[in-house]
Amino acid sequence: MMNVLYYLFRVLIYPGFLFISALAFVFEWIDRKAHAHFQNRIGPLYAGPHGFLQPLADFIKLMAKEDFTPTWANPVFFNITPVLAATLPVFASFYIPFTGMPVLPPFEGDLVLVLTLTTFFTITAFLAGWFSSNRFSSVGAIRVVLQFLGYEIPMFISLGSAAIAAGSLSITKIANSQVIPFAILQPLGFAIYIIALQAELEKIPFDIPEAESEIVAGWLTEFAGRKLAFFRLSEDLRLVLGAGLATAVFLGGGSGAILPPIVWFLIKMVIVVLIATSLRTVFARLKIDQVVRGAWKYLLPLALLQLLITKILLVVM
Amino acid sequence: MMSIYRIPVGPQHPAIKEGFQWNFKLDGEVIVDVTPRLGFVHRGIEKGMELRSWVQGIYLAERICGICNTPHTTCYCLAVEQLYDVEVPKRAQYLRIIINELNRIHSHLLWIGVLGMEIGFMTYFMYVWRDRERVMDIVELITGNRVTMSMNMIGGVVYDITPPMEGIIRRGLDYLEERTKYYKEVLLNEPTIRARTENVGVLSKSDAIDLCAVGPTLRGSDVKSDARFDEPYSSYDEISFNLVTYPYCDVYARALVRADETLESIKIIRECLDKMPSGPIKVRLKRTPPPGEAVARVEAPRGELLHYVKSDGKEKPYRVKMRTPTLANIPATCEMLKGYYIADIPAIIASIDPCYCCTERMLFIDINSGKSWVWTDSELRRYSLKYYRERRK
Amino acid sequence: MAMLREIWRHFFKKPVTVKYPFEKLEPAERYRGRHEFYIDRCVGCGLCAKECPALAIEMVPSDKTVGGKKPVFYLDRCIFCQQCERICPRNAIKLTKFYELAAYDKSELVLDIS
Repeated sequence: MMNVLYYLFRVLIYPGFLFISALAFVFEWIDRKAHAHFQNRIGPLYAGPHGFLQPLADFIKLMAKEDFTPTWANPVFFNITPVLAATLPVFASFYIPFTGMPVLPPFEGDLVLVLTLTTFFTITAFLAGWFSSNRFSSVGAIRVVLQFLGYEIPMFISLGSAAIAAGSLSITKIANSQVIPFAILQPLGFAIYIIALQAELEKIPFDIPEAESEIVAGWLTEFAGRKLAFFRLSEDLRLVLGAGLATAVFLGGGSGAILPPIVWFLIKMVIVVLIATSLRTVFARLKIDQVVRGAWKYLLPLALLQLLITKILLVVM
Repeated sequence: MMSIYRIPVGPQHPAIKEGFQWNFKLDGEVIVDVTPRLGFVHRGIEKGMELRSWVQGIYLAERICGICNTPHTTCYCLAVEQLYDVEVPKRAQYLRIIINELNRIHSHLLWIGVLGMEIGFMTYFMYVWRDRERVMDIVELITGNRVTMSMNMIGGVVYDITPPMEGIIRRGLDYLEERTKYYKEVLLNEPTIRARTENVGVLSKSDAIDLCAVGPTLRGSDVKSDARFDEPYSSYDEISFNLVTYPYCDVYARALVRADETLESIKIIRECLDKMPSGPIKVRLKRTPPPGEAVARVEAPRGELLHYVKSDGKEKPYRVKMRTPTLANIPATCEMLKGYYIADIPAIIASIDPCYCCTERMLFIDINSGKSWVWTDSELRRYSLKYYRERRK
Repeated sequence: MAMLREIWRHFFKKPVTVKYPFEKLEPAERYRGRHEFYIDRCVGCGLCAKECPALAIEMVPSDKTVGGKKPVFYLDRCIFCQQCERICPRNAIKLTKFYELAAYDKSELVLDIS
């Protein structure tokens, strides 16, 4: 009985669903405040101390707005995609070892499971845009898939070279096997993963599927009210997932002296989030053909090179 | 047989600042054809000028466009002063140069920020618009309002620059020069900006001349044409400055043209402050000008602006006609857009620096009798209500 | 990456945002705000009403002025061009620096000084 309660607590509250959602709001606040201070302005200020509660306030506001389905949109997909978008990252985050042990028991190959779930998210985004019966949404949906074709393989290969160096496909084992973080041993792989993360999270310079000044809001155009609240929450949840994966695989997970592992994990995740924010601040948006061409011309060969170097070093040492 | 997909951009769209519609025909992501549709911002200003006195007309001309208000008033006043056949005092001419160039700096800085926003570079936008505040502070110091200067009057200008103000203006100009040089550096060195604007929206030199492009659109295609050089007005021939052209013919060239023009404007203002003659800033004129017609040309930030004024000796003008630069750039834009992607649309449209509320002029011409007339805005409203009522039946 | 140094430099500087309405900036001396009307100088000539480009001044009967009329300013129509101040032969109108004129009711924007 105690075991069941304990597991329910872990899944629902800490380090499970509630903790991950709270982390999503906190990271959105960090991202917005850092973005604002980079641009010499203030950012959220009045909702809570220094605007800390602003993402929560935005979420509550959106939940209370009018929520309607366009006449010609497919009601099944239109209603189910927001729910899927919010739950898939949470489920994938259950395999990230925030506290040293993930929520669900780790197994060999949970890295592959997490990556499959992120692929499912891309398909969900495509379906959401395609079945919205809006010209701008379909253009956005096509762009999501096109961009996915560019960044997916380099991302998988860079994570794969870290897995090969650790000798395991389980995220927890990769995190625990890093004496020196892989970001220092495999800097190329880390850089490629960060770039691919930017593309997966649809942030500038890769925010093409949601390009505001061109196609209004891309595949998100027709969503309003509660559905939009869930999509925005899923953006933040994917940031938590991506930063958590980067920390676990490349930055050594919760390892570090004195402080408990969860604190080190959070600190490293914040560093990844700040890197993502400064990339978001410093570039302009690229075009879809430039992204796909660049990914196949530069990212993929570099990722393969990293894989080759890792294999050679393993054989040598 | 390619599948044509139609997308309307406007009248409500994040890339379109005022009401305007560009109807695109696409094949996948490639633009095949574009049809512009004007008329959303028509306000009946030309008719409105026929119902107001000459001095009230200045304020109406000022409100044709928010950002290029000073060239409109300068052009109107120059045209009316031609009717009076009077030359305004030298000090007033130099003051006119100063405010026109301040307006040019303001408009170009605003545009550079908007270009950053259109290609997704919000940081650049934020920084440039922060420094644009400095220009508005200088304008507020001289004229009392941050954007709508209201400084021109028929016969001269109404505000003077006092010696304490000169120090503040010069310090502001030094700051602006340093920042504009930095923003030009970013334009030259940032790879993502270059990737989005180089070889995009190419308008060849012959096309630019055939399609009557004006302003930086024309000068970015390596054509030396500027109303300040071709027909110097208001003592521009006494100031030495350069005509900026770039040979690349794309959006990148137009951005560089505007950045360089901002630096030239700062030099012009400094030279004017150095050489400022003393004297009156206004001449007293009679209330109504003698009958006649006159045309005046000025170089607005967007291109060449024309005002035609006709008087029949009465208190109100007989006819006023304006040809704004954005209207002249629209056929060139349609040519510039063909063959590029959807992602290039905001950058290309923004590169002509569109001011849609300037564009709206309407003229009824009866072909048989050769008569032409314009409508007031209440007549326009009545017609539109009737039109939509019939359509709903 | 051209702006990288600039953005990290500004990360540690104070933001330029002015927290209006808790902090306010002082406008320039010549700022054109709300009118101030000196009724003892007015002679009721009506030139301000005739000259106003926005038709924002109406002459109403008054027993305080020499000519029997005085102007009423409709601030919701006014474009703050200062033409009334310039044309007034007795300097009875002056534009002050006060600009916080937002109101919920149009009747609050009628400036009727007696």
